[in-house]
Amino acid sequence: MDYYFIIFAIMAVGAAIFTITVRDALPSALGLLTVFIALSALYLHLHAPLIAIFQVSIYAGAILVLVVFVIMLLITPDEQLGSPQKNISYRSMGAILGAYLIALLIIGMKGINQIVSRKGLPDGFGHPSLVGELFFKHYLLHFEMASVLLLVALIAAIYLAKKKL
Amino acid sequence: MADWQIELIKVVFIWAWALIIAVVMTWVERRASAMMQDRLGPNRAGPFGLLQPLADGIKLFTKEDIIPERARKILFVLGPPLFALPAFSAYAVIPFGDKIVIGGKEIILQVSDVNIGFLFILALSAIAVYGLVIGGWASNSKYSILGGLRATAQLISYEVPMGLALLTIVLLDGTFSLREIVLQQQGTFLGFLPNWGFFKQPLGFIIFLVAAYAEANRVPFDLPECESELVTGYHTEYGSMRLGLYLFGEYVNLVTLSAITVCLFFGGWSLPYVDMSKFLGPVSYGIASFFVFFFKQAFFLFLFVWVRWTVPRFRYDQLMGLGWKALIPLGLVNLFITALLVQLTT
Repeated sequence: MDYYFIIFAIMAVGAAIFTITVRDALPSALGLLTVFIALSALYLHLHAPLIAIFQVSIYAGAILVLVVFVIMLLITPDEQLGSPQKNISYRSMGAILGAYLIALLIIGMKGINQIVSRKGLPDGFGHPSLVGELFFKHYLLHFEMASVLLLVALIAAIYLAKKKL
Repeated sequence: MADWQIELIKVVFIWAWALIIAVVMTWVERRASAMMQDRLGPNRAGPFGLLQPLADGIKLFTKEDIIPERARKILFVLGPPLFALPAFSAYAVIPFGDKIVIGGKEIILQVSDVNIGFLFILALSAIAVYGLVIGGWASNSKYSILGGLRATAQLISYEVPMGLALLTIVLLDGTFSLREIVLQQQGTFLGFLPNWGFFKQPLGFIIFLVAAYAEANRVPFDLPECESELVTGYHTEYGSMRLGLYLFGEYVNLVTLSAITVCLFFGGWSLPYVDMSKFLGPVSYGIASFFVFFFKQAFFLFLFVWVRWTVPRFRYDQLMGLGWKALIPLGLVNLFITALLVQLTT
């Protein structure tokens, strides 16, 4: 039994359920923070320290902080979120999307039996320089595509935020 | 001694050491500010008032612990420890000395030499903001929420220039491990200067230092807790040892930031021009390297105090302007030039 994995997996799933069920905005965000930290602990367990650190510093340290910032601007501690969505078409759309995601997960899990756990890891596995080499040699096009996509999103956000350019 | 025992001793030692420095810093802060303002400062408890931090500690511990009625209780309690813990944890990857040989066993003076030590510190400083945010929001008071909001905006803004400044050091040394970065700073640069990050990256150092002051919420960037407008901001509603944890966490933060400054820009435990390991025994070399590191760190700790009692506070828009319009472009230009030079010379 891999106790390390089980502890953090339970932590991640529990915190995720907390995040979507709790009616308070900031505790919900903190639940998401716990999910990120538990995931980062799992990455560490998989010998991927660099990804673990990125998980914390980018998702928890930048993206979620912005979410929390908006929560603090809009919601006072006395308020709770409104009642759940009543619109039937929204709810059914959500159900279809959810079913789609679950189907994707199940398809992904089909090959799980074929994964053989390798005892020895290749030399220097998970070292930052190796990750960098993969990025800039083998996956350079994918990397650049992602950065262009982000740039487009950035320009769009500035266009939306500023009425007069 | 088994390996795990050595590790345990290192962890306990460095935590205790960081705590002691932080405690002494509260005394230094008050005495130095008194000196600069031609006052006496606390001088009743013990010689030179040295026992004043102890007296403060007893006072904070024995005070009534008040939680405001309309506060969010659980979050209110959670805030201070969430702020103080990341500050302590950062010390795990900082090399506070070279190595010491005891009984034929070589012990490196660092809790753990991980190859991502550097990013670990950045990630922790990103997590620390939640302590301020939760404390400010859970207090359910205007001042606290404003303080928390300012803290979030400020910390996010200044993390970017800080990261950019630190990246130049990574580019020069080609590693994320703090120990290796320190080892690469030995010897001389251009023949006569010590081979320190400060001389190779003067602009990077200035950007880093300004961002570090903002990250530590110190004057001139103490907008989240400025007494005159926000009544100390996010910890307005806190009292007793919960307040103590906030104040204390801040000093531990200073200790960590000074240690990082020394590691990255001032050669860590090594002395310029002199190789201590040549003429000192293995044990005394370890101790000497530890104290060299400490004295360099002590200078930056004093610099924090010095700046605080010398310059006035920024206005909030000036603070944001400085971060986004001055430091980030400067950091980007600096990074670009450094990358160009590294590419051309290697």
